Amino acid sequence: MDIYLPIAEVAVNAPLIVALGALVGFISGMFGIGGGFLMTPLLVFFGIPAPVAVSSMALHVAGSSMSSVMAYGRRRAVDLRMGGVLAAGGLVGAVVGVELFRVLRLLGQADLVVALSYLVFLSVIGGLMLTESLGAIVRRRRGEPALAHRDRRPIWLYGLPLKLRFPRSRLYISVIPPLVLGAFVGVLSAIMGVGGGFILVPAMIYVLRMPAGMVVGTSLLQIIVTTALTGVLQAGRNQTVDVVLATLLLIGGVVGAQLGARASSRFRAEELRAVLALIVLLVGLRMGLGLFLTPSEPFVLMSGMVG
Amino acid sequence: MTLLAALALATAPVTSTAPVISAALTDTNVRVSSDFSGARIILYGAVFDPSTWPSDVVVLVRGPEQPVRITRRHKVAGLWLNSPPVVFRGAPGFYRAASNRPLADIANFGTLRRLGAGMDHLPISAPAEQRTETRYGVRDVVVSRLGADYYVWRRAVVRLKQNAGLYDEDERGVRFVDRGLFRAEISLPAGAPTGVYRADILLFKDGRPVAVRSRTLTVEKVGLERALYVWAHVRPWSYGLASMVFALAAGWAASAAFRRD
Repeated sequence: MDIYLPIAEVAVNAPLIVALGALVGFISGMFGIGGGFLMTPLLVFFGIPAPVAVSSMALHVAGSSMSSVMAYGRRRAVDLRMGGVLAAGGLVGAVVGVELFRVLRLLGQADLVVALSYLVFLSVIGGLMLTESLGAIVRRRRGEPALAHRDRRPIWLYGLPLKLRFPRSRLYISVIPPLVLGAFVGVLSAIMGVGGGFILVPAMIYVLRMPAGMVVGTSLLQIIVTTALTGVLQAGRNQTVDVVLATLLLIGGVVGAQLGARASSRFRAEELRAVLALIVLLVGLRMGLGLFLTPSEPFVLMSGMVG
Repeated sequence: MTLLAALALATAPVTSTAPVISAALTDTNVRVSSDFSGARIILYGAVFDPSTWPSDVVVLVRGPEQPVRITRRHKVAGLWLNSPPVVFRGAPGFYRAASNRPLADIANFGTLRRLGAGMDHLPISAPAEQRTETRYGVRDVVVSRLGADYYVWRRAVVRLKQNAGLYDEDERGVRFVDRGLFRAEISLPAGAPTGVYRADILLFKDGRPVAVRSRTLTVEKVGLERALYVWAHVRPWSYGLASMVFALAAGWAASAAFRRD
């Protein structure tokens, strides 16, 4: 059952795209991430033009994050003030990111920057997560106690001006680190077609030292605001948002996410982290591989943006 | 077979000695809706030729012109990077050349080049890379920044379009089904651009085109596809806002539907 996508201008197999949405949704619900880093490369692999995949993902990530954040909100696991500060940075980052992406496409270097971003960020994050989670698994097997949580926050977090109290997270820190973090993730969201949870969550735990229970819900809030703006900007500036594609992905995605969230309770946290780390690492390396392999066709047609 | 009947009627009153070619498409309007996965159009035609001298038929179908942006990957310090993109103009978004025997046997290089018959003869050029200068005392010599590589780039445009199923050349595409009556098949892939297509049906004798007939074909989006496409391009901001509101509402609805408590 093929369906023609009006903006991407290609015909895709509708059940396949819905299944893809469900698979990524399952992973995203299971690990509490957006899943954009997995979905965007898969869409490109199935023949969707990269700019359309990146832009339409913003809709999908926003929609599926919306469905998850409600659950966290009901459990009072969202720090609205911290989310607001992160989102403020994210808005700036999204505007910068969309313009940057436009310039990169004009220069013909969008592919390179996207591949490099995937290679660098996913490999680093995946590698760190894998080391950390494997260490935890080994220690548990040997019966050793878990590493004591270092509760000391970096000094520079306190030395910066513009301090603000975040009662939900029990923090009293400068707004500059969360603003910068939000802006950085906003830029990545526009360029890589991801929500940015895979960077936001570790940074909130290890840099901002937020309580673990608050992190996922709060990061989702930032992701919704940032991707919502990214999606509108991509549609307005680049006309690359395909609402039919996003709808197909959402149908599968929301169902998959709910199933994934239920399945996650059956596994240990460090085992889940190890599997996620492997997936992140593999996607990063696969995306980066294209930079090193000799292409079979040295010429590449670039879709759109001719004028 | 009303078409055949019409052809038979049309054959009768031809008395002039000049050869005439006539053709019709089975479908002049291709509608791209959500289930569009390509289309097949049959072209029927007839040659009215009082002489018995053998003649050739060439069918050229061109889609609306689409500038092509192309980049070449080259190795820099172990990494494969894109070169600055080059824009080629004059490239049709869709191209089919069909003939009853190889084009090179029908007419010479110059004639084919002038008519744009065959993938190697499309009028594709990269004007932004060109400048005119005086060389060896000759004024207005067109020089391309791409230099000797220019033809490699040009061939790459055609090759990539061919791989995407948008360009094709079929030296057996025109088949005579009866004396003077021929048919050709035009298959449009799902990725065929929308717009007005032109089919030129040429009659060749002794390597020269002696008669020509043109037909137009419209490929257009219809229904929801058209509405969304127009909305996204004419009012991109309201389209973006509406689709985002829709996505967020869908996420919210899904969470409400799956709520267990």
